[in-house]
Amino acid sequence: MPHDILTLYSSKALEYGIAISFLVLFIPFWRFVMKPAPAPAAARVAERPRVPVAEAVEWFQFARDVGFHPGHAWARFGQGALATVGMDDFARQLVGSQASLELPPPGTTLVQGEPAWSLRNGDRQVAMLSPVDGVVTEVNPAVGSTVGSLGGDPFGTGWLMQVEVRRPAANERTLLSGDAARAWLQTTTDALRMRIAPDMGLVMQDGGTLVDGLARAIDEDNWDAVAREFLRS
Amino acid sequence: MRSPAATTALRPFITDKLFLGLSLRDYLRSLATPGSLTAIGILAIGIPVIIYRFVYGLGAATNLTQANPWGIWIGIDVLSGVALAAGGYTLATTVYIFGMRDYHSVVRPALLTGFLGYFFVVVGLLVDLGRPWNLPVPMLFSFGTTSVMFEVAWCVALYTLVLFLEFSPALFEWLGLEKWRERAMKLLLPATILGVILSTLHQSSLGALFLMVPTKLHPLWYSPFIPIFFFISSIIAGLSMVIVESNLAHKYFPSRIEPGHAGDLDRITLGLSRAASVVLFAYFFLKLQGLADAGAWHLIGTAYGAWYLVEMLGFVLAPCLLFAWAARTSNPTLARWTAALTVAGIVVNRLNVSVIAMNWNAPEVYVPSVMEIITTLTIITMGILVYRFIVNRMPILRLLPQYPDTH
Amino acid sequence: MKLTRRTFFKVTGAAGAASVASAAAARPAGAAGVAATPGADMRAMLIDTTKCIGCRACEAACSEANALPEPTQAGDTAVFDRRRPTSVQALTVVNKYPATTTAPERYIKTQCMHCVEPACASACLARAIEKTPAGPVVYHGDRCLGCRYCLVSCPFDVPKFDYDSNAPFVHKCTFCGERQAKGLEPACSSVCPTGAITFGTRAALIEEARQRIYAPDSQYVRHVYGEREAGGTSFLYISDRPLEQLGLPGHVPAYAYSALTQGALGAVPFIMTLWPPLLMGLYTFSQRRNAAAHGDHHAGDAPRHEEDRHA
Repeated sequence: MPHDILTLYSSKALEYGIAISFLVLFIPFWRFVMKPAPAPAAARVAERPRVPVAEAVEWFQFARDVGFHPGHAWARFGQGALATVGMDDFARQLVGSQASLELPPPGTTLVQGEPAWSLRNGDRQVAMLSPVDGVVTEVNPAVGSTVGSLGGDPFGTGWLMQVEVRRPAANERTLLSGDAARAWLQTTTDALRMRIAPDMGLVMQDGGTLVDGLARAIDEDNWDAVAREFLRS
Repeated sequence: MRSPAATTALRPFITDKLFLGLSLRDYLRSLATPGSLTAIGILAIGIPVIIYRFVYGLGAATNLTQANPWGIWIGIDVLSGVALAAGGYTLATTVYIFGMRDYHSVVRPALLTGFLGYFFVVVGLLVDLGRPWNLPVPMLFSFGTTSVMFEVAWCVALYTLVLFLEFSPALFEWLGLEKWRERAMKLLLPATILGVILSTLHQSSLGALFLMVPTKLHPLWYSPFIPIFFFISSIIAGLSMVIVESNLAHKYFPSRIEPGHAGDLDRITLGLSRAASVVLFAYFFLKLQGLADAGAWHLIGTAYGAWYLVEMLGFVLAPCLLFAWAARTSNPTLARWTAALTVAGIVVNRLNVSVIAMNWNAPEVYVPSVMEIITTLTIITMGILVYRFIVNRMPILRLLPQYPDTH
Repeated sequence: MKLTRRTFFKVTGAAGAASVASAAAARPAGAAGVAATPGADMRAMLIDTTKCIGCRACEAACSEANALPEPTQAGDTAVFDRRRPTSVQALTVVNKYPATTTAPERYIKTQCMHCVEPACASACLARAIEKTPAGPVVYHGDRCLGCRYCLVSCPFDVPKFDYDSNAPFVHKCTFCGERQAKGLEPACSSVCPTGAITFGTRAALIEEARQRIYAPDSQYVRHVYGEREAGGTSFLYISDRPLEQLGLPGHVPAYAYSALTQGALGAVPFIMTLWPPLLMGLYTFSQRRNAAAHGDHHAGDAPRHEEDRHA
């Protein structure tokens, strides 16, 4: 039609050129479009305030408004796709306050049930599993490099990170919450009790708080194996 | 003679189903809003205009001529109408075929918009056809199988039925026809696949209609790839229209929204924006291929070339980048406005192909008559009124409690 | 000769065109030397504008044969002051093109070109316009929907729509099909006093046109308009001025217009056949993926990504 054989060579070359430029540009474009955005500021603020719920299962704090992953990580879902993620009191006391905490930087993709952050003590480390699928958008600036910096409120001010969740509803369904979570924590606590021999003196004398760093107390040399057993990693 | 039982069954139907549980008087009073009155005003002028067109012929009502036989009734009512009703097949495929259930809350609105879109495309077509009473001829008696128009006619007719089928579960839920609903639900998957086939065919064939005008359509728009352009841009139109329509619905029918779904909308809007920006990106490069194939670079410098650049940069590339930016920065407001821009861009493209760049080298210039514009507005208004009637009654924007897993 | 280019799906179109060409070749050959002429045996007209004197006898005969009103301004040369297109009531029209510094004044009769493979007929969804084997392109008003796609498609702008009627028809030259069926010549050629219109078979008239334009002292432009335009037309024109100067459209492609859409139409059965298995495959895949996601949510088999929509 508009080309004869003499202009066809250059025209065809141009078409291939356009197609190849498209392929080259498509990669960064795709990455740009598909990478989840940092959560809107409004949503971020809305996540934070929380009324502390004073509830406990034996030695451990418990929260009704979060979903628990069997690996003792929790997630709290708010409006939209943003979830707050943290570790529960059980995990906190299990590894102890001197354990160092290595959180993933914002932008890291998390997969539910796969290692998300790690806890280190000495030369051994234990991973904790992510309760959700998504991308880390923010790490709690108030949390330092040790588990001790979580403070005494692991379900509130001690949250670890904000995650943009791909499928909030689907993730939320797979987590334990409410009475089911309570029952699970009770079972886990019972299992823990089985590991504690009465003569080990894990429970302090002053009315039942546990020693800091249960796993080390149970087995000093192989604390990481003990922790892994409970954290399912 | 009506039996007493029938009358007692009829009254709840009228008051509960039709009048939203109000008495006739309260119902009529509830309709007296500025929007309704504007709509009634448009219909009061528009319906007599349509009657006038049928009594006195197309010449009396339109500015159509022998050189410009197709005007805005084809460019807007039919070509743009079909493209913008593409949300039905796009979303049905996304949810029912690709299994992306998180988009389920916009499928029913998209299917309803699609069905009404096609229904009123057919209405617009009947107004535009010189001898609409001969519509059964190509369907039953005389098959013009070499004609793209024949394929379009069949596909549009069948797809309108398919859309009705896909939408009918909502209708049966409203009427409480349990068995019919179950039957319709069973047909959902085959209907969706048939819908994709028919849509692929006629969305592209509406472009293929213009393959026949190599000497009349401006070379910047004429391309052997025009069926592909029409098909790809229909996906863009469908996605953008679902964004526009669902956001308008949430704004104007807040009481009809499922309580938990209000927050979902932003997420869905951003997801659709991602898809639309990727398709627009590919569409932009395909259009460049068309330009290279036509070897029409030298025409960019002309007045038509400037207008072509407006379409390509202002209505294709700009929405592509804006959608991408909106998705990247989680800005649903930007996504909504971009969707509106994209919808406008689709209308511009269809008008360019069918009216503005058509017969570009002929001296005669077509400008639509007032009656043509009124008729187009009337048909759009009828579509909106029927949409409102249905959304206020049937489970479109929210599910009924007895059918929790409808989608 | 320009090389035409085909898009990937126009391959089927090319195949279609090839089969049409071979079908044409299989027909009995017409006059010697133009054996492969499409529509060789179809009735045709040769219009030699150098012989036309603008008497408009053809217009009058056409009106009479088709029971139309008398031509406007009959016998008045002022009618040539402006260019008239054919219309609902004037199926053939003679226009005058004044002399230029280099070319003499010429009259030209226009009407339906009766293409060998008409764009209008291939565009009509109800077969309201059909090509008859004898040559005429005929219109059946009782089938017509009035969609006006024939007007859009025709490269010569021939069909005219009766906008003033509320039950409109399309009007165009009939090539006097009924007269031809009775063994008569079409009205216009039968009354032409100067021999500007010659009626015959297409192959014979192309041969005749060539003899005239290639004659030793010929002033003709060496182009038989209609021999190749739009795949060949039954009305052929020769002149000593380029026919684009006499109001006939230039740059009409040399292929039959039906070939333009055969590629797109050829894709239809393929889409109908390929989409269902493809979509059912995707459906099965997504079902399985969702089942996996909902069934077991431990360790890693949850869906990692789902952004592959519409890519």
